Amino acid sequence: MAPSTSPLFRLLTPLLQTFRNVSSRPSLPTTLSPLSQSKPFSTSPQLLARPSKKQPGKDPRITLIRYHLQHPKTPRPLRLSRMRALRHWTIHRAWMLSRRKRLEKEEAELYRMYQSMHAACEELRTMDPPGSKDAGRLYRIAMEKKGIYGHGGVPIEYARLQTETPGKEPWNHGWTR
Amino acid sequence: MPTCQKAARPLVRSLRDAQSSCQSVRAIRAFTSSARSNNEAAVESTRPTPVFDPATVTSIKGEKALMKSGIFPIGSRRRRAALKSSDNIPFEQLPYQCFQEARKVLQADREEKLQAIQKERLRISNLMAQDPSNISGGEKQKQIRLESMRRHLEYLKIQADINDPLIKKRFEDGEGDMNKPIYRYLADRKWRKYQRLVIVQRINQLGIVPDCLPHFEPTADVRLAFRKRSVLPGEFVDSRVSEVPARLKVQVFDKGERLVSVVVIDSDVPVVERDNFTSRCHYLATNIPLSPTQTSLPLSQATETQLVHPWMPPFAQKGSPYHRYSVFVLQQEPGKTLDPAELREKIQRDGFSLRSFVDKYHVKPIGVSIFRSLWDEGTAGVMHRAGIEGADIEFKRKKIEPLKPKQKARGWEARHSGPKYSWLRR
Repeated sequence: MAPSTSPLFRLLTPLLQTFRNVSSRPSLPTTLSPLSQSKPFSTSPQLLARPSKKQPGKDPRITLIRYHLQHPKTPRPLRLSRMRALRHWTIHRAWMLSRRKRLEKEEAELYRMYQSMHAACEELRTMDPPGSKDAGRLYRIAMEKKGIYGHGGVPIEYARLQTETPGKEPWNHGWTR
Repeated sequence: MPTCQKAARPLVRSLRDAQSSCQSVRAIRAFTSSARSNNEAAVESTRPTPVFDPATVTSIKGEKALMKSGIFPIGSRRRRAALKSSDNIPFEQLPYQCFQEARKVLQADREEKLQAIQKERLRISNLMAQDPSNISGGEKQKQIRLESMRRHLEYLKIQADINDPLIKKRFEDGEGDMNKPIYRYLADRKWRKYQRLVIVQRINQLGIVPDCLPHFEPTADVRLAFRKRSVLPGEFVDSRVSEVPARLKVQVFDKGERLVSVVVIDSDVPVVERDNFTSRCHYLATNIPLSPTQTSLPLSQATETQLVHPWMPPFAQKGSPYHRYSVFVLQQEPGKTLDPAELREKIQRDGFSLRSFVDKYHVKPIGVSIFRSLWDEGTAGVMHRAGIEGADIEFKRKKIEPLKPKQKARGWEARHSGPKYSWLRR
């Protein structure tokens, strides 16, 4: 699994982003000030070592990851013995299997219901011989879509004129009646 | 728990434990008030040599005794001690409720799959009994349907066993029986996850595919070794190491026994006259039986009816770029054997072309293993021992005169071009 997809990294990414901004600023003045305060009486020039560019210290990202991974509130990693892992695997497989079976069963039930509705409508349509009075009346009544958008409702698509592209102003917030 | 009970618990455990003979005997004897030295002397004279179990031995003495006899204790001492005091319940009877419920679910599913397998078998036999004139599409459609039904049957066989934890464990321990489809399936999946990717990458990187064969998809795992040294795909091998015939371990993942041919080709033999490269056959053997359980294929063990060209040690002459040696395993048509005597006449070592061999004898390449070789200090000796001439030849690049006339030296170079600075130029 790539590190970017792991949930831990997804949680850490915004933190890392903020820290990257912080670390890019120079941190020289903060390191200088305590030294200059500790020797207020000396008159000789203070020869401080130049901040070496070769060793920029530890990577703040690593520090941050360490901090969060070793934080007491972070749950400990799962360390299962072999047999225990095998039991875990067994339970997992059984759970996946039963879940898939349940989903398939539900889908089959929905399909069956749809098919029976379809068959009933077909029966209504072909009930009367053609040319007779009120041929297909029950079928027409069954095909009516009254009340499917609520009582006296209209589909939400009719609330605004349909266009190819979104409008310049997506929503008029200042609108009052 | 009272203190006395707590104190007595290890003692009780050791009394209960029948396996730990020495310890329990010692613990019992701690309470006797009779003369111990006499007793012990009497016991030691008649004591049989203790038999240590490598899975449960914990004492240093026992470990040493076992190691002296060549058996190493299994796992850590801590683990062995834990095993000793546990009441070895088999894995499937472990008293965890969720685990047991899961096992029930899996077993019910397996029963379903077994029934489906029986049904599918019945359907296949029914279809086979039918006359093709009754089926729409005739004989061809019947064969297609049979093929797809058989594929579905294989799928069901794997699905029936894939959720079994003990099968998984046995496969991970390397104790899987390769005659069974589920273990072959697991092995194939594992091979495709890493080993196959590596060998396919080597085939592409080293240009084996356009050079030796027009196209090639490996379907069998081929491991190469010389004596004890196993060779990774594409590794450089010292010529002294590769002097002896290689040992192959070929794992095929489809069922049944088949005959294979093994070819070792050097595809970088320099040809000075044509300023080009050609290929050479270093080894050729045919009619070697191979099956999922019969994986070992030592090239030195080929018999007279199998061997066409014996092993010629790989050698790369001095100055030539590295030579690619590819060991191809070619599956012959089922039930057909090739005649080695005829092959010996027809196929020459020099200028061997794998493409024409594959086309002519209708063999199907199933696996390959690649190694490379360069001139090293042992190559001359290897060539001498094998009776190959040309160890004293050194290849050099032909110098091509540039088209542009040479310019006179200027500046610093002109000033330092005199005899005074000859040491600068070497």
